[in-house]
Amino acid sequence: MAAPPFRNTIRTMRFMAGEMTQAELGQRVGVTRQTIAAIEQGKYSPSLEAAFRIAQVFGKPLEEVFIWDGDEVELR
Amino acid sequence: MSFREKIHWVSFAAMALVFGWYFLSYPWGIIDSAAGVMASVGMLVPAVIIIIVAMSLATAFFALRMPGDVDLKEDERDRTIHFRGTHLAYYPLVVGIWANLFAVFYQISPGVQLNLLLATVVFAELVRIGAQIFFYRRGY
Repeated sequence: MAAPPFRNTIRTMRFMAGEMTQAELGQRVGVTRQTIAAIEQGKYSPSLEAAFRIAQVFGKPLEEVFIWDGDEVELR
Repeated sequence: MSFREKIHWVSFAAMALVFGWYFLSYPWGIIDSAAGVMASVGMLVPAVIIIIVAMSLATAFFALRMPGDVDLKEDERDRTIHFRGTHLAYYPLVVGIWANLFAVFYQISPGVQLNLLLATVVFAELVRIGAQIFFYRRGY
């Protein structure tokens, strides 16, 4: 399976939030612990809504939690 | 492994074992006769009962071991995996149905039609559940 064109800092954010567990984050975002684990490992690309919710839990802007690594989109 | 994924594994194993037994034990020599159709019915009844019992027991077992996970609602990843598995199973289902339509056009025996239809459903189910397990394991 191809890795998504972005990485994330969820593991670091959880550590900085007092070792928040995946289950706790999942509960606050409204997804299962397994889904948080899959997002962290780059095995699942979350919906925009879930991505925003994760960023909101940490009080960070979206681009600090999910960092685009793919090709630049060419603007016309 | 999540509660849902465990249930998928049990479902996949039960389907593969029970219908593996069915297709290996079916008396293919009498498939074109009325007895061939009755043999299918006679073998399908215990097959379905075994699957229902196995699924019920496994669900109860995992529910007792993981009580917290039982009430968890399907989240967006579960739904996406569910849709993708069902989507992949659609193709073998359509191919099998077309094969069965040709069997009807060419007046092939009801025993063959019945088994062809059954094989189609079983194969499509195995593709659906297998794909869902694959997506749970490997991501996408």
